[in-house]
Amino acid sequence: MKETKRINTLISEYFIFVIFIALVIVLTCLKPSFITPGNLVNILKQASINGILAFGMMFVIVAGGFDMSVGSTVAFTGILAAMLGQGDYPLIVPLIVAMLAGLAVGVVNGVGVAVGNLPPFIMTLGTMTAVRGLALVVSKGKPVIGISAEYKAVAASSFCGIPMLAVFLVIIIAICSFVLSKTVYGRRVYACGGNLLAARVSGINTTKIRISTFAIAGLLAGLSGFLMTSRVTIGQPTAAESYEMDAITACVVGGVSMSGGVGKPWGVVVGCLLITVIANGLDIMGVSSHWQRIVKGVIIVLAVLIDIKGKSKKN
Amino acid sequence: MEYVLEMKDISKTFPGVVALDHVQLQVRPGEVHALMGENGAGKSTLMKILMGIYTKDPGGEILFDGKPYNASNPKEAMDMGVAMIHQELNPILDMTVYENIFVGRELRKNGLVDKKAEIEEAQKLIEECGLHVSPRETLRNLTVAQCQLIEIIKAISINAKVIIMDEPTAAITEREVELLFEHIHRLTKKGVAIIYISHRMAEIFSICDRVSVYRDGRYIGTDDTANLSEAQLIKMMVGREISDVYPKLEADIGEVIFEAKNIVRADNTVKGVSLAVRRGEILGIGGLVGAGRSELVEGIFGIHPLSSGEIFVKGKKVKVSSPQDIIKEGVALITEDRKVTGLNLSGTVNDNIAMVAIKKLLTNGLYNKNKAYKASQEYIEKLNIKTPSVNQIVGNLSGGNQQKIVIAKWLLNEPDIIILDEPTRGIDVGAKRDIYLLLGKLVQQGKAVIMISSEIPELMGICDRIAVMCEGNYSGEVKREEFSQERIMTLASAITV
Repeated sequence: MKETKRINTLISEYFIFVIFIALVIVLTCLKPSFITPGNLVNILKQASINGILAFGMMFVIVAGGFDMSVGSTVAFTGILAAMLGQGDYPLIVPLIVAMLAGLAVGVVNGVGVAVGNLPPFIMTLGTMTAVRGLALVVSKGKPVIGISAEYKAVAASSFCGIPMLAVFLVIIIAICSFVLSKTVYGRRVYACGGNLLAARVSGINTTKIRISTFAIAGLLAGLSGFLMTSRVTIGQPTAAESYEMDAITACVVGGVSMSGGVGKPWGVVVGCLLITVIANGLDIMGVSSHWQRIVKGVIIVLAVLIDIKGKSKKN
Repeated sequence: MEYVLEMKDISKTFPGVVALDHVQLQVRPGEVHALMGENGAGKSTLMKILMGIYTKDPGGEILFDGKPYNASNPKEAMDMGVAMIHQELNPILDMTVYENIFVGRELRKNGLVDKKAEIEEAQKLIEECGLHVSPRETLRNLTVAQCQLIEIIKAISINAKVIIMDEPTAAITEREVELLFEHIHRLTKKGVAIIYISHRMAEIFSICDRVSVYRDGRYIGTDDTANLSEAQLIKMMVGREISDVYPKLEADIGEVIFEAKNIVRADNTVKGVSLAVRRGEILGIGGLVGAGRSELVEGIFGIHPLSSGEIFVKGKKVKVSSPQDIIKEGVALITEDRKVTGLNLSGTVNDNIAMVAIKKLLTNGLYNKNKAYKASQEYIEKLNIKTPSVNQIVGNLSGGNQQKIVIAKWLLNEPDIIILDEPTRGIDVGAKRDIYLLLGKLVQQGKAVIMISSEIPELMGICDRIAVMCEGNYSGEVKREEFSQERIMTLASAITV
């Protein structure tokens, strides 16, 4: 009796994980080629940029914010990385510049929200639009071509059979999970999102915490920009459209509360994998990309709906 | 027909918990019927069943006006004549008075909202109530008491025969309480029955005709308030005799440990107040709601800017520009509204207790969950917090336990000066007593306590001195040997020249 109750709570707690496994099983039955190592590696690769962005987004959302600007930031920093990655400088230069540029956008967002008291949606909607413009200005509206072979190799190469992109993702997941669950800073991010006023009264510098979460999202968007340019081998000012939505989706599907204060890192990992697996599964089944969007939308809503139902039953 | 409302043999089980175990309630027309019981006794569950928010377990029945009653949502309950005025009022602040009164049952003409008729009708109702606001005023510009009256007007306008009032006096001033009581009398004269929920003993005896008591989900009994003494009522509620409601522990009073001089807030809600407290002393701050007491302590604590004033902690002058500055010196502030400024309601007990003094829960600079669990466990035992585990979401706990968690999170930081703003609001007799005893123990350890309260008996019960404020000014101080309700009330309502 007690044992079944415990299992029930476990299932409702990890419901999204159960859904994910179910989806994998269904896809494997429908298309055995889904489960081949080659395809699994492919999934990891596809999940990597969204995964990195999703973890940046997670910091912002857990602290009670919201960031619309990461897609534009990826495009902008991708352009910068492409311009500096032509072989004239060591690779570290485009990487650092892209991350610093992303960081700068994040800090602007954070200051606007935490100091200027602007609603996060409005502030980042502004930067989303402006930074996209910046990407177009810097690139003169044209794709930036001619990145060095060395730079191309970053995304194309692999480490012990695992693509480098996925290695980056794993490192970012490890660092972010550690920071969120183990450090004082991480606990304070949760406190700010849970109740900003209570956090402030408890002596937490909420302004600093909120700015920093946007800064982290920007920093990781910069890293993603650098990686994306390597992957697609050009800097595209119009790239990464609606990436912020995919990142938000991964968070929400993974159980991060849009009202802040709640969310587990592993949930975001599952959320991110879930949407990648959906896209990948539909791809290998030959579903047209137009239909894919519809299916993706429906599955996202259903997954969260089932998750909510499962949780409310527990209470 | 003797009763307007009869609830018989009502049970409600939640997974793992029996919230109500075959309880009953009988309400006569035109009476004020008090529901008493500690938090978790089942009062609010019973009322939620009546309002159709919860469904009762099969069996038992509800008769309204002698007819079977079965509401499956609040709208149906209101249609049948039962209205509830919630403890936390939920008016739509950006809508006008008339819109709030008619929300959900808008008056119509040709399928469109008949704004003119709504305004006229609202004006009539407002006048009947003796309220002086325009129907076109937005609720945001009204006081809490006025918003409450709007809710009452709404209840009257649907011709409610039973109105439930949940802690209606928690957030309004003494004068407004009197006004509220007048309205209640007017309603009962018309035959409307009021179900009145409050933790304030004095109110129960002054306004209620009968009282029903519940404990741990069980019905204990119903009696006329005239037949009961306060002690008897408390015994019914807690199941044992509580001889002293306000226990006062003896403590040695030492040197001045905290001093605030001439505090003036930038928004002018506090106009030059000074106070000092010594080790071992409980200093009360009395006054009416709106006297600037919360504003004073929030100003001292760096939550709102001061335009002048000096703060000394242990003889050292402290410059306070944010709460961090004063927390560092060993001062804690348990704020008035635990839900708004005290707790992370979506966090666990553990998350909340770790909020202030997380630095004490580290190993090698990292957050140590085991240490945090141990600390939380320690305070759960010390403060007698009733929670299934340290992983419980705080939003699911009762008010008294939530309040103790706010206190625990500050005590973990080992403060020397503890400021509490209305620490016992909305919590039950047992939990209140726990808090009084805790404060007593803290001052015995040489700490100092400053407590704001609107309940004068409570201040007189446990404080060594009471400083009284009125309209943002300091209006006087009363020592323990000179305590009297009249004295404090006079100071609290002093008209400053």
